[in-house]
Amino acid sequence: MPDVVRESVFNLQFPFTRSLGSTLSTFFSALAQGQLIGVRTGGRVIAPPLEYDPDTAADAGTDYVKVGPKGTVSSWTWVPEPTHLHTVKHPFAFAFITLDGADTPMIHVVDAGSESAMAAGMRVEAKFKPTEECAGRIDDIIAFVPAADPSPSDGAGEPYAAPAENAITMLDSFCDLTYVDNTSASTLLWMESLLKGQIIGQVCPMCNRTYVGPRNMCCVDAIPLDESTLVTVPDRGVVTNFTIITPVQYPGQTETEPFVRVSILLEGTDAVMAQQSVLEIPASEVRVGMHVEAVWAPESERDVSDIGNRGWGSGGECIRGWRPTGQPDEPAENFVERMM
Amino acid sequence: MSHQPVAVVGIGQTHHKKSRADVSIAGLVREAALRALEDANMDWSDIDAVVLGKAPDLFEGVMKPEMYLADALGAVNKPMFRVHTAGSVGGSTGIVGSHLVSSGRHKRVLSIAFEKQSEGNAQFALGGGKGASIGAGGAFAPFIRAYIRRSGAPEDIGWQVAVKDRLNGAKNPYAHLKLADITIEKVKESPMMWDPLHFLESCPSSDGACAVVFTDEQGGKAASKPPAWVLATAMKSEPSTFAGRDPVSPAAAHACSDEIYRAIGVTNPREQIDCAELYVPFSWYEPMWLEAHDIAAPGDGWRMTAEGATALDGSFPVNMSGGVLSSNPIGASGLLRFAEAALQVRGMAGEHQVGGAKLALAQAYGANAQFYAMWAVGSSLDPLG
Amino acid sequence: MARTENDIAIVGFAQGEMERRSQKTETEMMLPVVAEAIASVGLTKSDIGFTVSGSCDYLSGQAFSFVSNVDAYGAWPPINESHVEMDGAWALYEAFVRLMQGDIDTALAAGVGKNSNSDASTLYTIEMDPYYLTPLGADPWSLAALQARALLDSGRATERDFAEVVARNRASAKSNPKAQVAGDFDVDELLAADYVRNPLRRHDLPPTTDGCAAIILARGKKAYELCERPAWITGFDHRIEAHLPTMRADITRSVSTALAAAGAGVKNGPIDVAEIYAPFSFQELIIRDALDLDASTEINPSGGALATNPVMVSGLIRMGEAANQIIKNGKRRTLAHATSGPCLQQNLVAVLEGDE
Ligand SMILES: [Zn+2]
Repeated sequence: MPDVVRESVFNLQFPFTRSLGSTLSTFFSALAQGQLIGVRTGGRVIAPPLEYDPDTAADAGTDYVKVGPKGTVSSWTWVPEPTHLHTVKHPFAFAFITLDGADTPMIHVVDAGSESAMAAGMRVEAKFKPTEECAGRIDDIIAFVPAADPSPSDGAGEPYAAPAENAITMLDSFCDLTYVDNTSASTLLWMESLLKGQIIGQVCPMCNRTYVGPRNMCCVDAIPLDESTLVTVPDRGVVTNFTIITPVQYPGQTETEPFVRVSILLEGTDAVMAQQSVLEIPASEVRVGMHVEAVWAPESERDVSDIGNRGWGSGGECIRGWRPTGQPDEPAENFVERMM
Repeated sequence: MSHQPVAVVGIGQTHHKKSRADVSIAGLVREAALRALEDANMDWSDIDAVVLGKAPDLFEGVMKPEMYLADALGAVNKPMFRVHTAGSVGGSTGIVGSHLVSSGRHKRVLSIAFEKQSEGNAQFALGGGKGASIGAGGAFAPFIRAYIRRSGAPEDIGWQVAVKDRLNGAKNPYAHLKLADITIEKVKESPMMWDPLHFLESCPSSDGACAVVFTDEQGGKAASKPPAWVLATAMKSEPSTFAGRDPVSPAAAHACSDEIYRAIGVTNPREQIDCAELYVPFSWYEPMWLEAHDIAAPGDGWRMTAEGATALDGSFPVNMSGGVLSSNPIGASGLLRFAEAALQVRGMAGEHQVGGAKLALAQAYGANAQFYAMWAVGSSLDPLG
Repeated sequence: MARTENDIAIVGFAQGEMERRSQKTETEMMLPVVAEAIASVGLTKSDIGFTVSGSCDYLSGQAFSFVSNVDAYGAWPPINESHVEMDGAWALYEAFVRLMQGDIDTALAAGVGKNSNSDASTLYTIEMDPYYLTPLGADPWSLAALQARALLDSGRATERDFAEVVARNRASAKSNPKAQVAGDFDVDELLAADYVRNPLRRHDLPPTTDGCAAIILARGKKAYELCERPAWITGFDHRIEAHLPTMRADITRSVSTALAAAGAGVKNGPIDVAEIYAPFSFQELIIRDALDLDASTEINPSGGALATNPVMVSGLIRMGEAANQIIKNGKRRTLAHATSGPCLQQNLVAVLEGDE
């Protein structure tokens, strides 16, 4: 029997698409051309620009000003071991950099070779990606590097005339986070029972409700349920309700055709397993009141690695689905409201 | 005790669309907030505290976005609060904002709720980033099937609601869907999405925001436009699933409206309340809520729909704004209901105004039909008097 | 001062195991803690007028993660309930405001955070400005370090001061049975460690903690029924600052803490004990400065967040610890502080008082 999974690694990955609005579009469009800009608002130049004055929330307007590409570091820190989310893959600095022509610093990366090269007051300049690789993102600037010539930037502080139409209006933002969830005691019991080909639940001693699978608590009485409350319940029951889902496509979607999901009241209990799949008949033949039984995967093929702590009643790769037993249907009206 | 009257004196919302690709997240919320401030004849500096609500952060992929939005919403050096109560969150955002005034802690509070669904994908987020997400429609379809069985309602009730709400939405300049030529036939012929729900019986996915400005009694009486008075608020919750729970007419839904009716002395909601904005993301939820909030007797909710009582010119108009079926920026959807109720009693609902509305009800619900937020607003502090 | 029906007090506090890695889900962590808090004041779940919790979807990577946490309340028949995507200290604030509506006289506020599933150095990059900071992988440790360097450069603190904050908190934590990192540490040895983010060393950063806490509030006479010596909340305020640390006038000063302290009336009398939520060692110095406490105030007898830091709960624990100083230790006037966001963006201050 395969061992149950005690820790599951989950990569939460999604490609978000952000619209930028006028101010951010102007900034990122200029950046893609190698030009840094700020906005003059409330008597000072904010760079990079915001669409509002951060002190007053007043509209920051469109009085854009060229800034940089050189600037002065006012604070810094050193990242000795970059994560997969950092844009520079060798040790680097984050810094507050006040660009020439700006009154507020920006936060960006400084690639100075070593920690000892970093100091407040150091002059740095933006090192851009090759123009053809610039996408209108903050990391079009690969990093700031020590300025070869510390003299002021040419043109900093001059007005910047924004084009009538911005080339960059969207920002792709790929979310890439890793979670390591450890399996709770109740889920471990559930996994073990499924590997054995059994469905288990817990019966609350106060209200007598059965919870399938076990949750280690009664949500009505707010009391813990321990192993003494465990029961094995039948792997047969009656379909109480269903829906046929037309899959919407999204990154990570595994379904392409309409699929059915049913709720099943397990025989001789008050426990319902929701969101179960049905085998051997087309979705259009699924009926309320239909008797079904679990179809177990062969023992050697059972797998619980996809069951998480929130998958109450999820059969993993152990219960492949439920098939009609062929017994006469029960009257639908006796079952249709037993969705939980 | 310190409970003081609260007035809604400013309401603003964005033009809701499938994608508001013309604005950043800050731009979206500011659009609604600035309209609310303009309506209230106020400036950012007049606001004492900000309450922000939205549905899961996984929808936009920005964790606790109220942090990034603090300065965009004029909250610098002020209290900023973030509510998250699933689909009911827009309602909770309004309630928490109103409580900050009724408790006497602040004089002027801005509540704002938003969702920018086009940045991500709600089905993805609801499915925990995994395949075969059933989505909200898949979760609610069984409840609807059970309601149809229980009430014996004819199958066209859902189609009628879908048409009525879209025709109302066509009168609302801010609505996402404006389907002025929608017909029962078109709803019936639209693809089956989550059996028994057709595509046109389902809410759209929208970008949008809604903002409400609250003041105390003095501010309400001094306002240049008519205020809406917050007469009662309630939030009720129950667990997601347990044997014997009734998700079709949930106990928490009844408890929530009971508390509202008791607080304002309503004994016959259908007669005494002039109109209601109920959170109806899938057509059948109109009759379901009419029953679960005891506006109709059990099994009779669909008759109100069938008789046209819930139409804009009916005896008990429901979702005059076009409702969630016309615009669904999820986190904002609850506050939009609350704001529309307030617009009605202010007499400022334009083409979707119910004549002479004095007392209006608004509701939002969330998760497995288990979280409820409600308020009643009036054109005066004693609209039944 | 005579208390009225408008006055609200903390009357009960419970906290669960504080662990580097809990085997439980958030809901399982909450169940015994909520039960203990309610039982500690002799009530049952049906006596609670309003329940509210603070937690964060992104800690578990699951939309609506808080929904199953309602199971821990036994919310049947249905209850008055709410949730904030904020530290439990702000949940307590909502409960406080809810009690002021006058129709109920008890409330429960909880906080829960299973922090060990994720990695703070990557997770919190998505809490930052989504256009300018998230794409750079700007992480909370780096941002804190930029703030720490600015504080050093101001001349108001040294790296030794940072290490002394750590040593003092961890030594205090020895008497806190819930503390995760406690003991006697030599400042010179601490200073010999490598930087994680110059000028911050591992000990300047908080531990990763899974945990849950809950507080019972009561109003007016009810507070005396439930607690011999209630911890009356006589001041409660919170403020936020600009998101980008570079847009704040002086990152070495916490304007929002000073404003919240003024709003809470900190200066209306001496503070016996202050529980400060400073996730990074040097931030305690910035907060103390902003609170303008005098030398007689004892700081963080619990060991603070450098000993135990269940994010979404740490602020609520400060409220509970400050309350217990009054309820159990007979102190007269205490302070609790909570923070959220990069570089102390948002801060909350409460003043608690026992009767004379
Ligand atoms: Zn029970």
